[in-house]
Amino acid sequence: MKFGGLTCVDSLNTHVGKDELVGMIGPNGAGKTTVFNIITGVYNPTGGDVLFKDKSVVPLKPYEVAEIGISRTFQNIRLFQSLSVRDNIRVSFVKSIKAGFFISTFHIGNYLKEEKEIEDKIDELLDIFGLLDVRDEYAVSLPYGEQRKVEIVRALATSPELLLLDEPAAGMNPTEKTELMSLIKMVKDKFKISILLIEHDMKVVMGVCERIIVLDYGKKIAEGNPENIKNDPKVIEAYLGETHH
Amino acid sequence: MKNKLLFLSSLALVFIINLFAGNIDPYYYTILIYIGINIILASSLNLINGYTGQFSLGHAGFMAIGAYLSVSFSTYFAPFFIDTFGQGVFGNSISFIILLLIGGIAAAIAGIIVGVPSLRLKGDYLAITTLGFAEIIRVIIQSLDVVGASQGFRGAYIFENGMKAAMIPADMSSVPYVFYSVPKYTNFFWTFAFVVIIIFFISNLMSSSYGRGFLAVKDDEIAAESMGVNTTKFKVIAFVSGAFFAGIAGALYGHFNLYINPEDFNFLKSVEIVVMVILGGMGSMVGVIIAAVILTILPEFLRGIAEYRMIIYALLLIIMMLLRPQGLFGVQLRPKKKK
Repeated sequence: MKFGGLTCVDSLNTHVGKDELVGMIGPNGAGKTTVFNIITGVYNPTGGDVLFKDKSVVPLKPYEVAEIGISRTFQNIRLFQSLSVRDNIRVSFVKSIKAGFFISTFHIGNYLKEEKEIEDKIDELLDIFGLLDVRDEYAVSLPYGEQRKVEIVRALATSPELLLLDEPAAGMNPTEKTELMSLIKMVKDKFKISILLIEHDMKVVMGVCERIIVLDYGKKIAEGNPENIKNDPKVIEAYLGETHH
Repeated sequence: MKNKLLFLSSLALVFIINLFAGNIDPYYYTILIYIGINIILASSLNLINGYTGQFSLGHAGFMAIGAYLSVSFSTYFAPFFIDTFGQGVFGNSISFIILLLIGGIAAAIAGIIVGVPSLRLKGDYLAITTLGFAEIIRVIIQSLDVVGASQGFRGAYIFENGMKAAMIPADMSSVPYVFYSVPKYTNFFWTFAFVVIIIFFISNLMSSSYGRGFLAVKDDEIAAESMGVNTTKFKVIAFVSGAFFAGIAGALYGHFNLYINPEDFNFLKSVEIVVMVILGGMGSMVGVIIAAVILTILPEFLRGIAEYRMIIYALLLIIMMLLRPQGLFGVQLRPKKKK
């Protein structure tokens, strides 16, 4: 992926398998979020391809990428600030609403039935994540850790097969991070989805990931299970000079 | 069910009030009609600016299309309407519905044309583009003699030799003609029937899950897209719907004023409508309605103080923005708590 003269991601060749929990790590600026943006259609790669279930997703627009089963969270939380927790999640159901524009305007036909179904699904999700109490609060009024949770739930509401989490532990205290780790494992087991995780916190990465990809300056410098990565000299060298906890 | 009941009874109420409305002083009647028209204009712009976050500064352009097109049809094709539907109350109503729809749909088509560039442009750039569009409309109208150009339009002259024009050409001064002035179809019923319609349209749409798509586009387009919202589709829908109702407002205006002029739909008019939306609180339907009422009545109220009128009007707006920039009701249309 080149931006002008800058090659941001250089021939990254890797995969995420069904029901796998894969982590992507690397120093700041290694190109990790760019990879996410390429997968989700925010950027068009200048070369190469991205295949999801053997079909290329490169020609797809971001909303189409969500429709085929890939969803994500963002490095800087992007919740809808004028909407409640419940409504933030509701937006993820918009793509699957059978009642289109006319039915929603005239409230005819299956409108009430479908609205109730959506309502129930939202409440179900909120319940699983312990957010029922705050469902009518403005999403952005919640504490930081809760906001991250809402963002993850919102992405899950799109019924993805692959979930991309961009530095979910950023800004969290140790307690929150431990909670996050069990949350991520729970999500994978309960919803049976694949997860690709970008993260800086080594404890989180080593604690939940089955496989880890390491990027540096846009190139993959290592790939393997946590044990191997921890001891890989290339990885250690890449992180020297980088402060990490 | 309850929704439909409320809708129909509101329309019935408007119908009943209309039966008595003819008795009030013409001056107040006129203000009432303009209040209704402004509510429609402001609410339709609110859908674009307030709910979907697309800064449109050219709403008067849609109004102009609705006005000029509907008025052209009701004059140049007057014989057709008269022959087909007659001139009784029922016939006039059918004619007017057709004319309103012509105005609305034409404006809606323009809404698609304007909406498409809006997909790539944001904020100031979009504002300038929409402003440019409205000016193009106005300038085109100014160059069209068939609708009176800059002299404005009051009706169609249909000459015995088949010619049609907005004014008597010099070389036709002796040819017999029939002059069809713009019929005064607009009354309390039609105006406020559409006020009721647009209110139900917007509140129904925005209280549905589908409606959250618009708000999501306003808050964070990238996040909305990533959750599967086709932001392009939603923006175009907002523009088309908003334009449609502005076209209706234009048709109502044309058939009340009976004389329209390109200057009625200039940039100042677009700004007037934007002010109503901002004053009311972007995205608050109640606020925008109240703001439309206030800003229609206020200039009339201040008529007595003639020279100072515009100064006071402007001062009030400035004070309002300093003290309460979020507008009167600057709160989002809260999701209804489902029982």
